[in-house]
Amino acid sequence: MNSVSPARQVSRTLQQGFGRRRFLKWTLMGGAGVAAVAAGGFALLRRSALDDQPVPADISGLSHSEYHLFARCQQVLLPTEGTELHPSDSLPVVANVAAILSFMAAPVRKQLGMGLSLFDNAAVFSHGCRFVDLDDDSARRYFDQWGQGAVIQRTLATAIKQLTYTAYWREPATWPAVEFDGPVTDKWGLAYLGNAPLPQEDGEGRV
Amino acid sequence: MSMASMPASGLAVIQASDISEKNLSLSADVVVVGSGAGGAVTAYELARRGKKVIVLEAGPYVPSQQFTERFADSLETLYQDHGGQTNASGDLLVLQGACVGGSTVVNGCVCFRTPDFILKDWQQRFGLTDLTSDTLAPYFERVEKNLSIHDNAEYEIARHGQLIRAGANKLGWSVKPLRRNIRQCGLTGHCLSGCKSERKQSMLVTYLPWAAAHGARIYADTRVERVTTEQGRASGVQATVVAHDGTPVASMTVKASQVVVAAGAVQTPLLLQKSQIANRSGQVGKNFACHPSLYVPARYPEPVHAWRGALLGVYIDEFLSPEKGAFVIEDGGSGPVEMTMAAEPGTGKPFMDYMANAKYLAGLVTLIHDHNVGTIHWDGEQKKIDYQLADADFPSMQRALKAAARLHLASGAEEVYVPSSDRRVIRSEADIDPMVDSLENLPQHLRMVSYHPQGSCRMGSDPDTSVVNDKGESHDVPGLYVADASLLPTSIVVNPQVTVYALATRIAEHMAKA
Repeated sequence: MNSVSPARQVSRTLQQGFGRRRFLKWTLMGGAGVAAVAAGGFALLRRSALDDQPVPADISGLSHSEYHLFARCQQVLLPTEGTELHPSDSLPVVANVAAILSFMAAPVRKQLGMGLSLFDNAAVFSHGCRFVDLDDDSARRYFDQWGQGAVIQRTLATAIKQLTYTAYWREPATWPAVEFDGPVTDKWGLAYLGNAPLPQEDGEGRV
Repeated sequence: MSMASMPASGLAVIQASDISEKNLSLSADVVVVGSGAGGAVTAYELARRGKKVIVLEAGPYVPSQQFTERFADSLETLYQDHGGQTNASGDLLVLQGACVGGSTVVNGCVCFRTPDFILKDWQQRFGLTDLTSDTLAPYFERVEKNLSIHDNAEYEIARHGQLIRAGANKLGWSVKPLRRNIRQCGLTGHCLSGCKSERKQSMLVTYLPWAAAHGARIYADTRVERVTTEQGRASGVQATVVAHDGTPVASMTVKASQVVVAAGAVQTPLLLQKSQIANRSGQVGKNFACHPSLYVPARYPEPVHAWRGALLGVYIDEFLSPEKGAFVIEDGGSGPVEMTMAAEPGTGKPFMDYMANAKYLAGLVTLIHDHNVGTIHWDGEQKKIDYQLADADFPSMQRALKAAARLHLASGAEEVYVPSSDRRVIRSEADIDPMVDSLENLPQHLRMVSYHPQGSCRMGSDPDTSVVNDKGESHDVPGLYVADASLLPTSIVVNPQVTVYALATRIAEHMAKA
């Protein structure tokens, strides 16, 4: 049994800037880590009021904490107040993230789940609370810090941003504000050309 | 003259939903694994010569009319791993088509012949003395004619291409219209989501229906698990037909005296490794090149609408030769989803401001001549693409990035966004060197994309250092051929589809004689 607590494991990971492979191996081998991973991620280092909030029924494939993490990311990463951009809170951003993750191969999805837990919980060391409980400015600075941090930090910050951004911008409601035309072939009435004509070969047709 | 006939539209494909038997036993003269650039061409070239051909494609059959022109959807339905295929460190997206027609369905249509200096390098270092510009010319001409490959006409150069061309002229750099395989381009800008109106001359509307017209049978949803051998010769394949929900539907055995593996530079070595054949050299899965590219966006003072018009219009060949850096720059259109992936303009409001200006953004694609430093293998649980940009290639990437930034500024851009994990914005010539020189070759520092994975089963004359010969045939297993981008002994700087078409045509010609 590994006696090192999950909290110290997280701290060490960030301090040492482990590469992804070593980090994952380390996490899986740690005794406390194994128990946490079996439960779907790190044991929560600090409770959040959000932990008691329900997950909407139409969200599937995300753990409770993953749902709240992405819901918070939606607020932090996609501010639209004072702009002509479509309000993100009226779009199924987290449901879209869940749909994207449903396509992931099981081993990759498992690793990502561990990484999401790390991202959420590591804020306890720097801010005294989990990422989901940071105020907006602190949450954005947290992303920026991770974007300039160790490999695992850059990886996670980039992955979380990309998932959230794609989940928002794939929605057609977001397109008019930037004059994106979206699908046009049918709208323009373009003719379907079908298959190219069969080549007329001479004899054996050797080159 | 051919007596074959072909439907005006669509393709006869046997899918998992069509199969009721639990075990399928088939036989053919040739079984082709993969229906992309290499597989489709070999299938047609052999079928038209009277060979009985079966094509097995792991991906689904998605008829053109079902393309959505929505990039995020298309990643999930048409691309390998639903668009999530990356290298081991996750900093390089490896985009490959995974559908009937393969990557030819979702590529940007760009066509180049193999550069002469690349062929000379192959001759000298890999003994590929029969592969010269002259000997390959008839094969290039054939595929160029068959696929309507032509220089972009003026109407095919979109606003972003016009801007870039003007900037290149201002700098005195050589700029040319790209050549593309397309008929009557509809200017939708949705190439990467498949061409809904069937203007892109992908394998889906050319070589595959032509092969079918000559009797080739095409199976989708069919994952080849193993290449079989008898007395040291290729004898066929074993496969599993899998429904779209992942449920196995049937086991398939195909007996064939010739096996063509053309599953792409990632899947082909995995199949050979799994089959435990053709690897006396130890080179299967080695020498992988990702041909990494950067998409460098910039904001212009006037609207560009980079999603309007042909996706790719012009390219800068000023730096193509090795003495000048061996890289090319292409103007590249993109939609909002792609733009979110390109750069790191900041978190929260800075990002939303960047995206609010999406119509003012235009992008450049850089392609370098990377070293073959990667490996592909199965780690017991999943495939593994071990590839990090070599330190030797990093200066080349930096030079290409600097050139792209200079070109944007000369074209009138106000801000150039460095595709890195931290926020870097270039606003003047003086910013270029400090912004780019301070980049480090570390995982997750640059946002790279690989559209052209290659290498991994390289051809060469020496059986000790290469997997197949110049005719694509395994040095170890007679009757086993490789006919995709995994053949390429080095990366070729430019987009490789025409190289694969030409080599596959040549390989099929030799197979027909064998």
